[in-house]
Amino acid sequence: MKNQKAFFVDVNRCVGCYTCAMACKNTYQVEPGIAWRNLQSVEDPSFPHRDLAFYSLACNHCEKPACAAACPEKAIYKREKDGAVVIDIDKCTGEKKCITECPYGVPKFNQKTAQAEKCHMCYARQDAGKQPGCVQSCPTGALTLVNLAEKKEGAVSFPPGFKKTDIGPSTRFRLAKVPRIVRRNS
Amino acid sequence: MEKLKQKQMEKTLACNHSRRRFLQGLLATGVLATMPSGLLQPLLVEAKDLLNEAEYQIFRNACPRNCYDTCSIKSFVKDGVLQYVEGATESSFTAGGLCVKGNSYARQLYSPDRIKYPMKQIGRGSGNWKRISWDEALETISSKILEIKAKDDNLLGLGLTKYSGNFGITHYGVEGMMSSLGYTTRFVGTPCWPAGIDAQNYDTGSMWCNDPEDMVHSKYIIVWGANPAFCSVHTMKYIYEARERGAKVVVIDPLLTQTAAKADLYLQVAAGEDGALALGMARHLVDKQLVDREFVTRYALGYAEFEAYLKKNITVTWAAEKTGIPAAEIRQLAEEFARADPATIWIGYGMQRHVNGGANVRAIDALVAMTGNIGKTGGGARYGHLQTWGFNYHAMIQDKPAGSKGWLGKGGPMGEFHGASGDQQAKYRDRTVNINKIAQEILDTNDPPVRMLWVACKNVLSQDFDTNKIKRAFEKLELIVAVDLFFNPTVEQADIVLPTVTPFEDWTVNVSYWHYWLSLNEQAVKPLYETKTDIDIAAALSKKMNAKQPGSCTFPQEIDSKQWMEKEFNQGIYDLFGIDSWQQLRQGPVKAKLKSASFPDRKFLTPSTKYEFRSELAAANGHAALPEYKAGRKAYGPLRLLTPHSKFSLHSQFQNLDWMHDFNNEPFVYLHPQTAKSRGIKEGQLVRVFNKIGELSMKAKLTDNVPTDALLMYESWFGRKNNFNVNTLVDDESSDMGAFKTGAPGVAIHDQFADIAKA
Repeated sequence: MKNQKAFFVDVNRCVGCYTCAMACKNTYQVEPGIAWRNLQSVEDPSFPHRDLAFYSLACNHCEKPACAAACPEKAIYKREKDGAVVIDIDKCTGEKKCITECPYGVPKFNQKTAQAEKCHMCYARQDAGKQPGCVQSCPTGALTLVNLAEKKEGAVSFPPGFKKTDIGPSTRFRLAKVPRIVRRNS
Repeated sequence: MEKLKQKQMEKTLACNHSRRRFLQGLLATGVLATMPSGLLQPLLVEAKDLLNEAEYQIFRNACPRNCYDTCSIKSFVKDGVLQYVEGATESSFTAGGLCVKGNSYARQLYSPDRIKYPMKQIGRGSGNWKRISWDEALETISSKILEIKAKDDNLLGLGLTKYSGNFGITHYGVEGMMSSLGYTTRFVGTPCWPAGIDAQNYDTGSMWCNDPEDMVHSKYIIVWGANPAFCSVHTMKYIYEARERGAKVVVIDPLLTQTAAKADLYLQVAAGEDGALALGMARHLVDKQLVDREFVTRYALGYAEFEAYLKKNITVTWAAEKTGIPAAEIRQLAEEFARADPATIWIGYGMQRHVNGGANVRAIDALVAMTGNIGKTGGGARYGHLQTWGFNYHAMIQDKPAGSKGWLGKGGPMGEFHGASGDQQAKYRDRTVNINKIAQEILDTNDPPVRMLWVACKNVLSQDFDTNKIKRAFEKLELIVAVDLFFNPTVEQADIVLPTVTPFEDWTVNVSYWHYWLSLNEQAVKPLYETKTDIDIAAALSKKMNAKQPGSCTFPQEIDSKQWMEKEFNQGIYDLFGIDSWQQLRQGPVKAKLKSASFPDRKFLTPSTKYEFRSELAAANGHAALPEYKAGRKAYGPLRLLTPHSKFSLHSQFQNLDWMHDFNNEPFVYLHPQTAKSRGIKEGQLVRVFNKIGELSMKAKLTDNVPTDALLMYESWFGRKNNFNVNTLVDDESSDMGAFKTGAPGVAIHDQFADIAKA
């Protein structure tokens, strides 16, 4: 896609503070029990320290979204302008096919509306010249929205623990460095 | 086009307009206040139409919690409902973003769990709450106050414990309310940072940190016993920028914290041995002749004696033994720190929560001073400051009723902000007792005993020490009144609860003890239900008191909280911040016109006006005159128990919200796999943590972020029927310092010990 925007997750800058995840809830007053963005702790020998490195994850706004392909109502579309994958609520009948088919577990079922919902890249905020709520609130600049075509130094598509698929998730990552650690003599 | 976009957005987000309009109608007529809270949630606060900010009323707010960052907030209100919040972009510190807690504010405001009306509990801890009117609540309270006065011939039986639940300046009206009733018993001091405050006052005559934004100029940053990645997320960007400009970042902490994970170097110091490390480094600098001779001779007092002390008593090898950090590392660290210019140390509040915490802060201060890093942009021994707190404290300063009788003993009420009020000397005084030993003080105080306790801006049962003892002490109290937002563990033990407001329903003004910004806090929405601000409660109580006994309370009976916010400003504040009136703050927060370095002319506020390596004041107060080594607390259990801050809560606030539970819904104890193995404990297993004062059970998580001889639990009030409370296991042992400037010593929160076993 020519105009694909993408979340760039700089795991090295990220302090795992969950600000992005809560900023998302704040922006849309998301129902308790549902999170459109969440953090995943990095569990990999490349960063052997528990709960101290994270991937901030929401919708990956894939090149070939499995959710859209699975939706029997064709309620999920991809915007030309920025590649955001959006659920059209007028068409969603709550069949949950997107939920079962998304390999990243992104769409969530809202019991109250009996429909699916997820991150839509805050496209309306973007259209109004603002950053997505998560990006604006990130206190360390670890989460940014970039043009996928723009090469970021050290960017990887499938870091350890992030599922490898062929549907073209747009999220990119930069891995965390480990500090030199001096433990106590004991 | 706009309309089309709006429609798209609404469709995308499934906005239920008819329901929202219905609720807004109710809100306007006040009917909503009497309705079950379920209706308020969650669709009322849907923030859908984000396309055009002009459609919103934007208010200025400030996060008033006890936090370095004290964020400047922009609140977006439509139809009288807070739709969402953002960080103010005008503050370079807040920089447009809040934190995980600040972003939950709309949910705090509209939480179905909020206390909505005055209520009385039939049987403390029973949960048998009955809704009562404000009139009935105030009738009960005022009758009790008059009864105490009649019985004791004074009001010392009325006690106040209040701390940092809301640092908005008008909230000092709670203290004002007490003063307006007479001489009372005040729980004074602070559990937070007093040992370090005293230490810095002995050394520099003040506590004054550089502007955190100037850290970008540092060439070497040691974050010592602080965890800004959890507790000051907005400062991390300056640390990162310094590193991008070539600085080295070192974290010294007993735990491999989130901040340590972001450092170039992490040193796992033995808890409470920070002073030994600083002194070992200092000794090495003497040996290597890396001392800033100009600073120590021109701007300091007693350096020669300090150097003599180091030569006689301290070696790097000794420091290595004490701290567990290899001697070669100590030498390298000291040399790198001394050779970098400027270099800075951020002294965390955690590292002074020890029986030797004040002494340890003085040792670190000395290290910064002897390398000439005080009074420099990008340098400094950073701890905190009160440079921007010069308000009028109009709400706090109230006259006693004529003829009031009080305490004839020594001392008067103090807190870390003491000194701003200009309280008059009088024959009688309030009776002061140590806020950090609330249980013991209630148990020990007689003639008269504390009969009635007023709790505001504080959650005693969650945040004060030795929970079981507090519960026993509370049995001695005849009436407990709690003012709060939620039914927390303190409210559970109260007789009467009065519902109060969130920052969005309040008028006040806020500054930070870390950064240099000033924020207005406007009333963005009308107080929900029957909630009242602290000063509105004081006014209502005054009205009741005077109706029952004219002249019994001097607090104004009718107040306008906006006007009372205005009354906190003065010319000094205007000049410091370069504004003509508080109205300018409606355009956004402003920053103090101060140099970025504290003590820029290297004139200190000590008796000698120099940096005092030797402090006669310290000696007079029973401490070593020099920054000498002081041993830590003797272990009373096999493992050290560390209970630092969680990233999901500010003490006992925020973690209770259902939104927070979406990301963190269970407390754990964290321990080293080796420690676990020796006790047969496996990952995820239910365990008991216990010591001489209590016991707690939760699941275990294994991690070598924690040393082998320690346990880690994050302090929090989880709410939602979870009774996790780390202070069940934290006793009220005092830290060495704090009494000098805050009226009571601090607490050795991190000098606690426990053991762990399978449940």
